[in-house]
Amino acid sequence: MKAENLSEADGRPGGQPPLLDIREICKAFRGQDRTVIALDRVTLPVRRGEFISLVGASGCGKTTLLRIIDGLETADSGEVRLDGKLLTGVSQDMAYVFQEINLLPWRNVLGNVALGLEVRGVPKRERRARALKALEMVGLAPVAKAPPYTLSGGMQQRVGVARALAVQPKVFLMDEPFGQLDNFTREALQVEIAGLWERLGATIVFVTHDVDEAIFLSDRIALFHASPGRLTEIVDVNLPRPRTGYDVRAHPRAIELRSHITDHLRGARTNGDPVSGGSRRVPAAARTPEEAQ
Amino acid sequence: MHLLRAIRARREAAGSGGAGGHVQADGAGAVVAAPVPGTDGRGGARGTRGHGHVIAGTLAVGVFIGLWQLSGLFLDPIFVSTPARVAKALATLIVSGPLPGAFLRSLLEMIGGFLIATVAGVGVGLLMGRMRLAEKALDPLVAFGNATPSIALLPVMEVWFGFGTAARVAFIMVICTWPILVNTYAGVRAARSLLTDVGKAFGMSGLKQTWSIYLPATVPYIFVGARIALAVGAVGMILGGQEIGQSGLGGLTENFGSYSQTADLVATIVTTTALAMLLFFGLRVLQRRAFPWIAATSAGERA
Repeated sequence: MKAENLSEADGRPGGQPPLLDIREICKAFRGQDRTVIALDRVTLPVRRGEFISLVGASGCGKTTLLRIIDGLETADSGEVRLDGKLLTGVSQDMAYVFQEINLLPWRNVLGNVALGLEVRGVPKRERRARALKALEMVGLAPVAKAPPYTLSGGMQQRVGVARALAVQPKVFLMDEPFGQLDNFTREALQVEIAGLWERLGATIVFVTHDVDEAIFLSDRIALFHASPGRLTEIVDVNLPRPRTGYDVRAHPRAIELRSHITDHLRGARTNGDPVSGGSRRVPAAARTPEEAQ
Repeated sequence: MHLLRAIRARREAAGSGGAGGHVQADGAGAVVAAPVPGTDGRGGARGTRGHGHVIAGTLAVGVFIGLWQLSGLFLDPIFVSTPARVAKALATLIVSGPLPGAFLRSLLEMIGGFLIATVAGVGVGLLMGRMRLAEKALDPLVAFGNATPSIALLPVMEVWFGFGTAARVAFIMVICTWPILVNTYAGVRAARSLLTDVGKAFGMSGLKQTWSIYLPATVPYIFVGARIALAVGAVGMILGGQEIGQSGLGGLTENFGSYSQTADLVATIVTTTALAMLLFFGLRVLQRRAFPWIAATSAGERA
């Protein structure tokens, strides 16, 4: 099994520094009577131009990590660097595609796609042109003037992708973007995203709990475990591209990967402690007062 | 046929009430009850049921008017007058009486007070919803103001603004402001994080988020507040007309009442109802024309 373990992933492989450097992220959510450690010292270097998926059961912190990367949520400790620059707040160099379809109903499709450009101060004319181009890339230019709620779920999520494409970000953050779609639409969009990724040379961080989806799309897959939420293994996919759904599913490497990933995720759920050896120290920030004393 | 269309329109408008779970005061709601969300039949069922409503409604109104007319045979016309007499009085008051002028005056005062209240209510509601400091500072004042029976403020308006138009408009405004303010505030607080995340994720400034995300997301709530405001504001319109310098439709009711001109009085009351319904209708047309997404998306949420 060609799987890097954490210590290898931590160190920078000679030469290119990661485009997105996520280091030692800790995040805890404090409830009234219990504290949930959503992320325990997560370190993940994302390479320029790679498609990396974060996979794990719900509650493992993968969405929280994505929100922290984007600045929608703040980490208790740790840092995120983009091109070496420390990120504070929401970065204009990244674009988020949400799991829920959340287009603004009071704007038409084009207006929704142009939203990010508006914030970035792009002049109206150029805004229109760039938004239209993004819509063309997802095949939706003909419905540019339609209100979003008149589109099917798959089309709405395509608009969400176009909204991210329009701002030409350095990194795309996608939070289970196809989670609410039916199987056929989901497969079509997976192929579409893979195509876009290849054409644009984009860097994509993709959250999903669907192992097959992750294998089909990714260069690398980061496996997460819950309570405390942590990154336990980074797997290289090593499947030839371009891929189509059928040959990927039947490919011996894919079968091997799928069983490895499911075993790994399941194993951790039953015995609680996965591969990553290191100390299980609770991060200081997440310690409850009693424990701290 | 026209009645049928009007009632259909009302049903659609009522169905599009937006963000569910609100108190929807509807001053003109006497004719057709608003349908319970989700129970509205689809396809053929809707057509037949709508038909049944029209027949039942028309029949009930007919029976009511018939009984009322018959009561004239037994009762002193001073008490209830009769539909025939009221119709005659209405015609006379419209053609050669004070009714059109009073109608216009009341309508303008109402619209003026309502518009100022909308600006103030939406403005303060947004401010409170979006700024923690404003919320903390204004919360007790709003609770206090909202709890004060606005009618008690009528003499205050007289003291501040005299006995003319300004006092009546101010009175209507004070009454209308609260429901709009409280609903706007609730709307901002309830703005779905789904939508507000979008503004944040694309790096909008706080002000831009307020303007481009929170305000539009709150519009359905503002309409709920506006409908309540119209209902309670109409009360203020009549009361102000009766008490502050006897003017407009309120002044006419006071006048006809004190001289026991019952047919004229009832004709004026009917006109008042017509005015209120006109305002509700206008608000609904505005919502449907300017914010078609409210009906479309709230229907989607229910489905």
